[in-house]
Amino acid sequence: MTDLYIPATSDTPEINFKFSRNTLSMSGEAYPENGVEFFRPILRQLQSHLKSLSGDTIEFNFQLTYFNSVSTKIFYSMFELLNEYAKNHPNSVLLNWHHDEEDDMILDFGLDIQEDFTWIDFNAITLASA
Amino acid sequence: MLDQSLLNKSRAGLSEIEAEYIAGSLLKICPSVSPGQTNHEVSKLLEGHADLISIAVIEDNKPIGLISRNFFMEGMAKPFHHDLFDRKSCIAFMDKEPLVVDQNMSIQALSFKVLGAGRKTLNDGFIITDENGDYLGLGSGEDLVKVVSFLQAEKNRLVTESINYASVIQQSFLRSSKESMSSVLQDYFMHWEPRDKVGGDYYFCKKFEDGFFLALIDCTGHGVPGAFMTLIMASFLDHILLEDNRYDPAGALAIMNKKVKLALGQITETGVETDKFSPAQGGQSDDGMDTAFCWVNTQNNTLVYAGAKTPLFYIDNASTDVNLLEPDRKGVGYVDTPMDYQWTNQQLSLSKAMCLYLTTDGLIDQIGGLKKIAFGKKRFSALLKDIYLKPMLEQESIIMQTYYDYQGKQRRRDDVCLMGFRF
Repeated sequence: MTDLYIPATSDTPEINFKFSRNTLSMSGEAYPENGVEFFRPILRQLQSHLKSLSGDTIEFNFQLTYFNSVSTKIFYSMFELLNEYAKNHPNSVLLNWHHDEEDDMILDFGLDIQEDFTWIDFNAITLASA
Repeated sequence: MLDQSLLNKSRAGLSEIEAEYIAGSLLKICPSVSPGQTNHEVSKLLEGHADLISIAVIEDNKPIGLISRNFFMEGMAKPFHHDLFDRKSCIAFMDKEPLVVDQNMSIQALSFKVLGAGRKTLNDGFIITDENGDYLGLGSGEDLVKVVSFLQAEKNRLVTESINYASVIQQSFLRSSKESMSSVLQDYFMHWEPRDKVGGDYYFCKKFEDGFFLALIDCTGHGVPGAFMTLIMASFLDHILLEDNRYDPAGALAIMNKKVKLALGQITETGVETDKFSPAQGGQSDDGMDTAFCWVNTQNNTLVYAGAKTPLFYIDNASTDVNLLEPDRKGVGYVDTPMDYQWTNQQLSLSKAMCLYLTTDGLIDQIGGLKKIAFGKKRFSALLKDIYLKPMLEQESIIMQTYYDYQGKQRRRDDVCLMGFRF
């Protein structure tokens, strides 16, 4: 599958899914008016990529500072996909959760993700103040 | 020609306004020439009509080209060109492929044509014909830009007026809650600030003989769709409280959940794992609300709280610490919330002068500050700890000022609804 790169806009994040190297990154903010429309094709590609894998390890870098409720739901679906994959291939998904040391909202959300998707290896990474 | 009085009078709906303006609205009756006429005659014509930007060349009533003043003058200004061209046919300097449009063409279609035709058409204008393709006159790029801007402004005006009125309706829906609140609370504030005049944040208060029911609601979306949702939720909540559900906020949330899911058809078929990412699911809505439901019993001074992703902050006068009643993590009505989901009631004994606060995520998730990160619950709690002894109205203005300062030049991300009261 070809890699997927979508540059960030003011209300959508940068998507940098290097399927060829199984390094998937997302950063920025997510509050598009129609989040489903934006994310659906991305998640479909992820879904079919995961189907083509058999135990390859995946590193996911999540570095968002804001997302609205629609995007939150979409992220849950996305982590569910990764969790399913990791369930079939234990220890295959590493989720790097980047958050500012003072950003309790993003960390809280990450802890929820950690609690809900137990097959994913969760790694909180604190970004220290510049 | 642009008829300003007609423009000003217009009070039609959006689509009607658009239909009123066609290419013909921009028509200027201009002198034309025939291919038999010479460049010398064109020179004279241009000299005599200083405002002519272009001259159409007409043969048997049909336009065959357009002579641009600039292009013509430049051409003739070259050495010996007067001698060479003066007596020749004016088609020498004619653009043989000018934009020609039917007078009935819509302004929108015309705009795309003009932009597609490039800069020359914006500068030199275009030819307007009747239904038979016979020459009527010229239109200019400048007039087109004027009409397009006017239409845009007019559309904005209509949308703004309509949203302003929607805001009147939404606020009048809040009136009875406002009245109830002022009758059951002495020291309190309610700050309702939709991002786009109307919004998905909402509050609800109803007085009973043994206490009052209070809800802070954040429906999916903001703006007009968000406001639609609040009206649906408010009417459901009104209905639910007619029965004795007020003592059981968690139960009331469960009833709301069922009602919303049924009303909006947000039911996943049991046991069937649907493909979430297939376009076929596009039509289904996935809307609901995050909320805190509180029943305050004023006879035994207790509060029963049930939260759907919306915490309750409180400060006991004795301890000065900010405490939280943590909500359940499922929203109400959404597709991924099961039909039979159970929220939990948490009880809190209210002591005298205890301060309680509810806020939607618009406040704590707002991006701002030097780091461009969320305002956060910690910052909010720390602020409350500093100011909770002040009168509630003063707290409101301090909290909001802190919030605006924090937001700085960042865009507002969401609606904000915030309330606080001292028991």
